Amino acid sequence: MQVNFQHDKSGFVFDRKTGVARDFHIKTILNLLSIVSLFVIWELLVHFRVYRFALLPSPAEVLNWGVEWVKSPDFWMDASLTTLRVFGGVTVACIIAIPVGLMIGWNKVFSDLTFPMLEILRPIPGIAYIPIAILFFPWEEASIAFICFVGAFFPILLNTIAGVGSIDRDFFRAARCLGSKPGQVFWHVVMPGALPSIATGAALGMGIGWMASVAGEMISGKWGLGYRIWEAYTLIRYPLIVDGMIAIGILGLGSSMLIRCLMMRMMPWRKAITESLDTTITT
Amino acid sequence: MASSLQHTAFRDIQKRIISWATFRRIMSVLLFLLVWTIIVKFIGYFHQLPGPQAVFMALFKLKPGALFTEILRSFLRVMAGFLLGLLIGFPIGVAIGYSRIANYLLFPAVELIRPIPPIAWIPLSVLFFINIESQIVFLTFYGAFFPIVYNTMRGISEVDIRLPRAAMSFGMTRTKMLWRVVLPAAMPQIFTGLKVAMGITWLMVVAAEMIASKGGLGYWVWYHNTVMEYPMVILGMGIIGLCGALCSLGIDLVGNHCMKWRGLF
Repeated sequence: MQVNFQHDKSGFVFDRKTGVARDFHIKTILNLLSIVSLFVIWELLVHFRVYRFALLPSPAEVLNWGVEWVKSPDFWMDASLTTLRVFGGVTVACIIAIPVGLMIGWNKVFSDLTFPMLEILRPIPGIAYIPIAILFFPWEEASIAFICFVGAFFPILLNTIAGVGSIDRDFFRAARCLGSKPGQVFWHVVMPGALPSIATGAALGMGIGWMASVAGEMISGKWGLGYRIWEAYTLIRYPLIVDGMIAIGILGLGSSMLIRCLMMRMMPWRKAITESLDTTITT
Repeated sequence: MASSLQHTAFRDIQKRIISWATFRRIMSVLLFLLVWTIIVKFIGYFHQLPGPQAVFMALFKLKPGALFTEILRSFLRVMAGFLLGLLIGFPIGVAIGYSRIANYLLFPAVELIRPIPPIAWIPLSVLFFINIESQIVFLTFYGAFFPIVYNTMRGISEVDIRLPRAAMSFGMTRTKMLWRVVLPAAMPQIFTGLKVAMGITWLMVVAAEMIASKGGLGYWVWYHNTVMEYPMVILGMGIIGLCGALCSLGIDLVGNHCMKWRGLF
């Protein structure tokens, strides 16, 4: 196809005129044009007061406020707190979801006993847990970490289960031929085989954890990036809103990439994982 | 007077429905309720959490009329945002996946905005849209937009290259090929994207309603939270989950209809 991220050579079926070298230049130019025009259109919309865009901050304002904000210690406090909450929630989600998912994928009895209930709980969005979180974790950090946990739990679980299901059955047969006990099969076949999907799920869960943390902090919090965004709105410091959004976006992307790198190190047999983050299974 | 073939078929169905697996599945729900009751009764920290009994009793206290209005409101917002996201996101996703120029022009911009969580857009949308309904519809649209664009793009770009090549050997033009070959082949991934988008849309509706307080299920849950009627809160959570599941089921049904060829292989 035109754009196939894994086998680029197939992209030349349709464009007979463009060769490899020219394609490279066109690609870079158009990509840059895309990013630049985004900012240009934004600036123009605000400058000419199109519709209600006059109320929104312009790119220049956002940049100025942003630079000042990063220099202040406030920002680092907020960023580290939010990061802590997200990482805490997602780590606990991993610790619980990965073993449970592996067991569900491996053992049918266990799957029948736990999976139906989890499937029933799955459609409930993490945000709906906020009242309960506030009730039980009066301490802010834990309540927001709990919401991140709920948000990240199901993607990780589902991807782990799919990971176990995707292991080639021949590996199990080979292991049995070599005389391995069930525990050894679990450790040497199931776990490494499911690892790629677990990596995808963990990166996905991290992304959703960031989303959930913003929600949690907006509704209940004193420190943190989400809270800062909401405060910027109430204090009429609009450029800070966009700065906060950008900060969350960058940190969210960074942590997803971090988890992905971490996971890839555990899988030396995979040369490249080219699937990106929003794959099949989510909420 | 059933023939022996019908008899064995009936026996197979009987075996599938009445089996240890089904028993275990029912046990799973009961086990959950048991654990829940134990946590509420015996662990002091959670004594404020309503047990399954309290939630069940709350079911009878429901006023069906009022609740139905709220459900309808949320549902309409979800539909509006989802359809808008589909209308705008699907062509963009197809363009990015199918045309190289469109890909180079649009993909970087999309990838740049995608990491920003939809919830972070709430303050800006409150600024920008005067009408609260438009705010909520915008947020749901935004939530649905990126999964649809991303999965459509991936679905199209990951179509087996041999299919369009075979079509070209038969002399198909590019435009015809899009409708007849590429889109049907990309359908599974597109529908996955639709399901993800539906889940995120419900998330956004609940979040927006909790903050904006203008009717709907999210507001209902939040209101009962402020008056401390926790059984209703849990009931509300369950209803939100049920609605989301029904919508996903709806998408599944539409998908099965569109992809009738799936069962053939």
